Amino acid sequence: MTDKEKHYNEFISYVVRWGRLTNLLAFVLSFGPALLLLTVFGLKPPTSAIIAGAVSIISAVGAFWIVEPISYYPVLGIPGTYMAFLAGNISNLRLPCAAVSQKAVGVEPGTEKGAIIATLGIAASVIVNTTILTFGVIVGATIFNALPEIARMTLQTYLVPAIFGAVFVQFARTNLRLGAIALALAFPLSFLLNKGFFAFLPGIPTYAVIILTVFGTIYIGRMLYEREAQKKT
Amino acid sequence: MPGDYLEIANSATLWFAAAICVGIVFIQAILFSRAALRYGKAMGLTDKQLKIAFRSGVISSIGPSVAILVGMIALIAAMGGPIAWMRLSFIGSVMYELMAAEFGANAMGASLSKGMNAIAYANAVWSMTLGAMGWLLFTGLFTDKLELVRLKLAGGREELIPIISAGAMLGAFGRLVADNVLKLDERAIAVIFGGVAMGLILNFADKKNIQWLREWSLGISMFVGMIAATLVYAARR
Repeated sequence: MTDKEKHYNEFISYVVRWGRLTNLLAFVLSFGPALLLLTVFGLKPPTSAIIAGAVSIISAVGAFWIVEPISYYPVLGIPGTYMAFLAGNISNLRLPCAAVSQKAVGVEPGTEKGAIIATLGIAASVIVNTTILTFGVIVGATIFNALPEIARMTLQTYLVPAIFGAVFVQFARTNLRLGAIALALAFPLSFLLNKGFFAFLPGIPTYAVIILTVFGTIYIGRMLYEREAQKKT
Repeated sequence: MPGDYLEIANSATLWFAAAICVGIVFIQAILFSRAALRYGKAMGLTDKQLKIAFRSGVISSIGPSVAILVGMIALIAAMGGPIAWMRLSFIGSVMYELMAAEFGANAMGASLSKGMNAIAYANAVWSMTLGAMGWLLFTGLFTDKLELVRLKLAGGREELIPIISAGAMLGAFGRLVADNVLKLDERAIAVIFGGVAMGLILNFADKKNIQWLREWSLGISMFVGMIAATLVYAARR
């Protein structure tokens, strides 16, 4: 083993030791706000609602828990993977920072030097990003509370739907057919939900529409893909 | 009163819980960059190269961070300062957090844009937390084994992964779009204008290859959607 490899292995074992500790600690601490709302403020949503909300969001993103670390890891490296998934905003912030740093220094992704450089690029982005967001939230929250009632109402009511529309188009652009399938499922199912068609299910049955739309889109998309793959062969 | 839950959402207790989480992100970044500097030098990288690496990271994160800041406004409005701050410095992105919070509120029969109350807010926090736990757990446990996982998966059905990912995202956001359009009020206008603006901006950015415009696309389209909805609201009164 060369000297360089020995140092790199020491670096990685240091990073794995601390990365594992910090990410698992963060997993525990992430429950802090929910548990404080429960204990300090006595806000206890019914268990069925907690489960319904969790099932909805997990059906949408659960696959990404595993797919994202596996697919981003070649660029991020081991240290970058710990940092990026702890800090979030991966595709719009951490990946570009890792890639730009490697390019600026002139090292290849996936090499030992590449991993060191990506670590520095991502660490820098974490430090800058948390600092900007910290100032931003203090200023933002203060400004928001000082706004006139009508402006606050507008922000609260219309900003979120506008984001939903924008994000949908962002994904649908590169995948028009899947986008059309998703809407073709979501509209009738949401309509039926509003008409009380799912009332036989326990709780507030929004989760049923989410699960049917998500897995329906995946299922039909997969079917079409396999049919085309068959045609080609 | 719809505003009541925001008093809890902006309380010192929640700022404290959020600060601990943001703190751990910061501490990890410092630990890792110190180690990278030490071992990088030992591995033959020059001081200059290490400096360039860090500086490029700083420069290229300013633009996207400010863009995230704009998206944070929506999260501050709906979920209060501490949750917005914590969730965006820690694990999530504006897109994920709003989806999770909306699903949580929906499960209590409310919605971020209407009928929020303290219990719906608490349930939204639970959804955000439970929906993101897998990323921390998986990377905490398996990051050092990812190479093996990758090799194993490559023998399987790797070509289906993009379809599953895109299908899950489009299914979830398709439902959020349909739900808001079917409300048949100004929120439908916000969805449609937000979506159209995004499409136009991205087409233009692709054609002219303008990277900063791509970063700002969400920030701009959300305001286009909001302003269009506000104008319709004002005209109908």
